[in-house]
Amino acid sequence: MSSSVGANCTELKQKYDSCFNKWYSEKFLKGDTTSDCEDLFKDYRACVMSTLKEKGIDKLLDDSRKEAPFPSTDQQKQEGAEKTA
Amino acid sequence: MKFFKSTHEYSYEWNLVSAAQWQKYPNDECPHVSHVDVLNRQLDPKTGVLTTERLITVDQNIPTIIKKILGSTSTQYVREISIIDPQKKTLTMRSINLTLCNLLSVEETIVYHEHPDDKTKTQFTQQAAIKAGSLVSGWSSVLEEFSLRRFKQNADVGRAGFNKVLERFVVMAEAKE
Repeated sequence: MSSSVGANCTELKQKYDSCFNKWYSEKFLKGDTTSDCEDLFKDYRACVMSTLKEKGIDKLLDDSRKEAPFPSTDQQKQEGAEKTA
Repeated sequence: MKFFKSTHEYSYEWNLVSAAQWQKYPNDECPHVSHVDVLNRQLDPKTGVLTTERLITVDQNIPTIIKKILGSTSTQYVREISIIDPQKKTLTMRSINLTLCNLLSVEETIVYHEHPDDKTKTQFTQQAAIKAGSLVSGWSSVLEEFSLRRFKQNADVGRAGFNKVLERFVVMAEAKE
């Protein structure tokens, strides 16, 4: 499994990746849209976001997102309705 | 500007190819890809479409002359957005560099879709547009040619690496049955 840009996030990442890979093959590809891995993703993502800030990558991302936003551009909509797997 | 296009056919069904894509790294053919992180992921419950945003960290040596033009270290970051439609059996990935974007832009689009005539196969198309920024001026040709060569090398090892991942996937899937 690949490692994270934040070395201390790799363990959280791999737990999430294992969950996601299982979900992808056993549920997603079979048309099941229920999500399984939200909590694991939240923990992993929080860790990555703080690494991105430390390395200044968050600013590069913001610039890129201005040109090509991640599909749900409304921050509130994203946090409220986000279904992550 | 320089353009790149390549097509390939994988002798595996789309479901397997799309699942294996998430486990493409690390692989021995692509040591230049150091880290892959998921930043956002969203599943549309109505359409079943899965959209993912990832950050890819690349560490790759570059020739001294290119280093002088770019004034950079060898670590670069790439942003990728992928869209998977499991009903249409298409996976589209678009990526662009986050670092050096004032000096050089490398935009890539990859599509994996089920072969229209043979469901046991998956068609792959890879395209890229490489453009040096205006700041680079007199060196733009040198930079674009180097970038195109590097892109082709990485595309070749990427395909070779992914083929090995697919072979492993099949072995693991058979073992489960």
